[in-house]
Order: sequence, then C-alpha cells, then structure tokens
Amino acid sequence: MTTTTDIRTNMSIVWNGHTWLVLMAQFVNPGKGSAFTRAKLRNLRTGQVVENTFRSGEAVELAEVENKRCQYLYNDGTNYVFMGNDDYEQFSLDKDFLGDATKYLIDGTEVYAMYIDGNPVSIQLPPKMAFKVISTPPGVRGDTASGGSKEATIETGAVVKVPLFIEEGETIRVNTETGAYDGKAN
Amino acid sequence: MGGDRSSNSGRVYDRELAQVKSLYFRKIREFFDGRGFLEVEVPCMTPAVDPEPAMHHFETVFDGMYGGKGERIPMYLVTSPEFQMKKLLGSGFGNIYTLARVFRNGEAGGGRHNTEFTMLEWYRMDVGYEEMMDETEKFVKWMAGQSGLENFPGSKNLSRDISWDRKSLNDLFIEYCGINLNENRGVEQLKKAAKEAGIAKLGGLSGENFYDTNACETWDDVMYKIFLNHIEPKLGFEKPVFVYNYPASQAALAKKCERDPFWAERFELYINGNELCNGFSELTDPVEQRKRFEEQNKMRAEQGRTTFPVDEEFLTSLESLRLQCGKGCGGNALGADRLLKVLIGKEKIEDVMLFPIEKMLYK
Repeated sequence: MTTTTDIRTNMSIVWNGHTWLVLMAQFVNPGKGSAFTRAKLRNLRTGQVVENTFRSGEAVELAEVENKRCQYLYNDGTNYVFMGNDDYEQFSLDKDFLGDATKYLIDGTEVYAMYIDGNPVSIQLPPKMAFKVISTPPGVRGDTASGGSKEATIETGAVVKVPLFIEEGETIRVNTETGAYDGKAN
Repeated sequence: MGGDRSSNSGRVYDRELAQVKSLYFRKIREFFDGRGFLEVEVPCMTPAVDPEPAMHHFETVFDGMYGGKGERIPMYLVTSPEFQMKKLLGSGFGNIYTLARVFRNGEAGGGRHNTEFTMLEWYRMDVGYEEMMDETEKFVKWMAGQSGLENFPGSKNLSRDISWDRKSLNDLFIEYCGINLNENRGVEQLKKAAKEAGIAKLGGLSGENFYDTNACETWDDVMYKIFLNHIEPKLGFEKPVFVYNYPASQAALAKKCERDPFWAERFELYINGNELCNGFSELTDPVEQRKRFEEQNKMRAEQGRTTFPVDEEFLTSLESLRLQCGKGCGGNALGADRLLKVLIGKEKIEDVMLFPIEKMLYK
C-alpha cells in the first residue's frame, strides 16, 4: 500500500478527486507527534500549483502512468518539441512547465515522458548526462581564494561550477537533478 | 612543485561554504563566551535516552571495556544534548552552552532536515522562557550583523533594531484560521472547528473541501496538520516571530503554565517559514518528569518500538537543579545549520553542509 511517506518528486497521485504531479516533496518532523510530508503539487487538469502537508502514513493513491521513451527535437523559445520513439508522434511542452530540465536538453537527447490518460505530463532526464564545455576562464593552479572552483558554460548555455583544471572543449558529466559537476566524461 | 590541490576528478565540494561555516562557529563561541557561558562537551552516544515517541534513535551496541569482552550493552546516538546538559546543571555548572552533534534516524529529504546536524543548546540559571526569547533575539541579531555573515544574496537584514513579534500558538490559530484552541480541546471538536472555519479551500478550487483531518487520530495530529498547512508557511517573513505557549502534551520537558496547565512555557522562533529553535522554562520537578517519561514509554510500547530505561541520574539532577534556581531555569535548542541557512540566504539545509546524508548515499 502506498502511503504519504512514499511521496517523491515526479510521482503522480490522485488526491481529493484530482490528479496531481508532485513537483517537490519535503520531510517534516515537528519533533512532537507524527511526521509529515510537505508537497508541492501541480493539478494536471488545470495546471494550478498548490502546496499541501500530508500526515505521514496516510494511504495515498498513485495515478496510473505510462512511461514512453522519446527524443527531444527542438524548441521555438517557448515550446519544446519531443517525438515518441515508438509512435513517432510529436508533442510539445511549455518552457515554464519543464523548468530546469531545459538547461540540459540538446537535439536528440533521449528522455522518458510520463503519460497520464494519454497526455504527456512530464519528462524525466537521465540522472547524469555528458556535455561539452564551450566556455570557461583558465583555472589558476592553487587558486584557493576562489574556493577551488570556477564557472563553466556548457553547450546548452547552462552554467555549472567545475574544478579549476577543467578547460574549454572538455566533456564533463553533470548531475541533472542537482546541477552539480560529476566528473570528466570520455 | 606542489600538486594542484583541487585535482579531485570527482565531485566539487564547496570551499567557500566551509570558510563561512568556520567563521560562523567562531562567532557563536564569541557571543556565548563573551556573556559568561561555559562551553561544555557532551557525548554523542549514551546508554539511556529521551523516550520522546516522535524521535527515532540510531541504536548500537557497546562490546565492553578493554578491547570488548563480548558484553552487548545497548547504546543510542543522542537526538539532543539535553539530558547531559541538565546533569551538568545539576552539578552546579551554572550557565552553559554546547555545539553538539545530534542524530535523528530517518529525518532527511526535501531540504529541511538532515539526519545528523549541529544543535546549539544553552541554559541560563534563574530565568524563564521570556528571558530566553530576549537572549535568542539578541543572539540572532548579533550574528546577522557580523562581518562575513551579512550581505549574502537572499539573506535578510535581521540585525536592524526592530523588536520581533511574539504570538501565542492560540493567537496564531485565531488570526490565521479563526479557531480558538481553548474552546476546542477535544479531537472531534477540533476537527469540526476546522471544517466549519472553512480554512479548507485551496485557492482557486473553491466550493470543494480539501481539508482532510479524518485520518488524524489525536488532537495533536489535527492541530499540527492545520498548523503546518495554514500557519507555518506564513510565519516570520515580514519580521521574525516567536511562537510561545504550546500544549503541555507537546512539551514534555517544559514547565506547565501556572494560569492554565493545558499550556506549557515553550517557544519556537520562525524566520522565513523556517523553525529555528525550541526553548522552554525548564521543568525541574523530577516526580512530574518521571510521570511524563512513563507515558512516553507506554506510547512507544504501544507502537511496538524500543522503550528506554528511565535515566535516574537525570531525574536526580533535576532535583538538584530545582534546589539551585529559585526562579527557574531557561534553555534553548537551536538548529545551528538551519540558522546559518537563513543568515546566508540558502534554500536547503544540504546547502550549508559539506557532507549531507543525501549526497553521501544517493548522489
């Protein structure tokens, strides 16, 4: 049985007659009495975002989701267009809807799309992805004043904090959930 | 030629954070040392702990002295330095403080908790919780004004000379929900009051009652569910606020209010929706305290969880403490990492730790 303790980001739940995508889940323990899970939810029909704090251990219904592999094609500034690997059907998702994920999309990136009632409602990026560094200042050896790291711009235009020895043209791995540098890629 | 000290081909750790945090701890010590407090050390692991049912302890085993003789003595990581601090108070230490590592199993996820964290805890003789609120306000304002801890993007100017708000829990329920807890001390009453107060409507989806307290079995649960949904997210944004007088059922180590023992002399500080500390007029009645421990152990047993032997030395210390301080004794436990998070404008507690548990285990 799924309970509120299991609520995590990117899950879909049915609550009070509506289907919601979990945008954020946070454990809360007031230190007395029960623990709680605070969640930010997007109503999949209206798009409205609400926050609710659930008491831990209450039963919750998971929405029926279908995951399909698809490919990112292009964007026109606001709409990001994807194509299903199996059915070649194209669909588009709003830039705001995608949030930080837009920082890591390159033409051809393979992602999982989550479908509810036949509608794509969110995409899931691979947890770690490789990107080329297109611009970064040269790192000065032993430069601890900067905290041992510097900023690098990757091919999508996003900025990542990297160690000083990373140079332009190198390929790095990025944790797409945290935006953190995760080592050099070959 | 020395090697490149940063040539770790793995992760980047935040050196700037380490510098700020080092300064932060130095400043905490400067404040308390300067006010005549003695810094004390307390153990991370003890044979008897607080039976508070909301806490999940890490349990371990001591193999015995002299290399381990095969004894298997249960030991527990502390969830708070309180018991040991009160033993020192009982022994006549006077005003003391500690920066203790505490451990709460299962508490992590989403940016508010880390299973292991640093608790700044201090005790002052001959005062009650009002003086503790005064001192806490002075402390945070002082810290916020320290060079090196101010002017971070996202941080607020907390050092300005304006008095912070103080509201009782009941005041907040009346203000935000139109519910008077004093008139709704039964669990069904409170559930009904929540429904009638119409605080259920989530913005935009009017006409539908999203409020669900039916699954809550105790008054405390209903109260907290309302509090966490409708009150806490709004606290301490314009100005920091102290919330005081909590139900005695949620303050096992605090003195009950003389005028109305339903409430206890407990307070918490909120800044930008973050709960930062938990302070009391400390209970110094060992008979009352023993009773409360027995109730807590009973609850734990009912939930099928470990019960703990009553820490007799702790109860004896309380008696000694009671004899020492006429007016009473005030204490406060403040989440040091959370306060730093607020001071430098970070969003999650993981952002002020070099090795948060999530990073070690999952990322």
